[in-house]
Amino acid sequence: MTQQIDQLEELTQKAVPEVFQVMLSMELNAETPAPAALDALGQIVGSVGFTGEATGVVYLYSSLDFAILITSRMLGIEMAEVDHDEMVNDAFGELSNMVVGYIKSRLCDAGLSCTLTIPSVVRGQRLSIGVPSEIQRRIIGFRNCENHLLAEMLVKQKK
Amino acid sequence: MSVKILTVDDSKTIRMIVAKAFRPYHCTVLEAQDGIAGLAIAQREQPDVILLDYTMPVMDGFEVLARLRADRELKATPVIMLTAEAGRDTIIKIANLGVRDYLIKPFKNELLIERMLRVLPLKLKSEGLERFKRFDDPIRILVVDDKPAIAVWIREALADTPWRITDTDQSGQAFDKCVDPGADIVLASLSLANDAAYMLLQELRSHANTATIPVLGMSIRTATVEQARAQEAGFAGNITKPIDADALRNSISRALKLDISYKYFKQCGSALALTLPKDSHQNASDVVSLRLDELLGATVEAGGDRLIIDLSAIDTVDLQVVKLVISALESCKKLSMKHAVVAQPAAKAMCRKYEESNSWSFVDSFDDALSPAKQPGK
Repeated sequence: MTQQIDQLEELTQKAVPEVFQVMLSMELNAETPAPAALDALGQIVGSVGFTGEATGVVYLYSSLDFAILITSRMLGIEMAEVDHDEMVNDAFGELSNMVVGYIKSRLCDAGLSCTLTIPSVVRGQRLSIGVPSEIQRRIIGFRNCENHLLAEMLVKQKK
Repeated sequence: MSVKILTVDDSKTIRMIVAKAFRPYHCTVLEAQDGIAGLAIAQREQPDVILLDYTMPVMDGFEVLARLRADRELKATPVIMLTAEAGRDTIIKIANLGVRDYLIKPFKNELLIERMLRVLPLKLKSEGLERFKRFDDPIRILVVDDKPAIAVWIREALADTPWRITDTDQSGQAFDKCVDPGADIVLASLSLANDAAYMLLQELRSHANTATIPVLGMSIRTATVEQARAQEAGFAGNITKPIDADALRNSISRALKLDISYKYFKQCGSALALTLPKDSHQNASDVVSLRLDELLGATVEAGGDRLIIDLSAIDTVDLQVVKLVISALESCKKLSMKHAVVAQPAAKAMCRKYEESNSWSFVDSFDDALSPAKQPGK
């Protein structure tokens, strides 16, 4: 089981920078996870789950400011033009979907067949995910200039 | 008519990215947020290509595609599948669905455009600002056929045009020749080995600088299955062997949308002269209708004030001619332009046979039409 969470962490480390590079032309570098660095004014969390031979969820956390920048880069518009929550939610959800789609494809190629859930997006302050003890968990951090992104991975152990 | 692209994706972000990517091109992007809406829009709008997301709630891309294929009017519509899931099994499944192509998310806009250009030629809006090529321009034609006699025949058939014909019997060299020295149109034999004509078309469509070069297929008259396949693949038309010289010219003119309006229109001082030919009224009518309003507008903009319709060369006044003149007179009325119709007695008599034209006023000569004092109408 440890192998699956290791595999998921390794894939997430590749998937997140790859998706950001292709869709946003933005370079992300790995960093020590820094939850406190997220905007105190608000966070946004995108999540997509997968179920099958491997079962788990990947969450992407960022500040709302960074999410607005991500949306503007993704759509090729000015940040001032990102004028409503729906636009940010949809872009962040789609970005999460691409990251987990990348991961899912490689899991399937490795014989861990699974299907994806639809993306969901949550907003709030000081958000954290509580999980039962049988769920394995990893958090990795990324950074672009002053902007931070966290990826939290959860994998359910098979009984 | 504008090319229509339908994007079916539950993500508004993807639909916005698609719409933005094609904004520089002459096309209309239609959007649907799920499969059901996508099918309804497809049935209503008959898009030229559909960009279909694979994973969607309500109705996924797989089911949408199955329904498209079961629809008599939509079954041939090319579909490019988009998916965030690039696993081997998914790709194989998508490929087996009969889609034209697929694109894995994340994707760069350039890749999206490249895939689309493989399916249909798109013109940049900036290209529309260039003038249309004229029939008497030195059009560059590349003939690709493993039978050298065909190129010889085409060269002879077009000897009285300023068109430049190059040829190759090596399909592998055809693409390079389209780039250097360059070609405005390609005539490729559909019977080349290993589907080489189709491969050439694909290669041309996948490069921005060759993507809009029209390709005409060449085949024998009875090769109807091959001709239908070529049409489906995106060939701009078909030339049947043995090749008829007039049909060849017409096919090339149509494919390149060559401007032959200069044969009919001429600026004479403050007047625009429209001279109808002796015969071929249908061709003239098509060309004149296409350019008339634009040229009348340009005449007024430049300080001109009248249209002279010269019927003195024509043998027969038929309903086609009458309708064309009526249309021209209506355009003049809208622009408050004067007009004069020049006709000889025989043509005047023929005009009087039609209810629509029996009350027209005429002048006897082109010089009279140029003289303001002798103009009968405004």
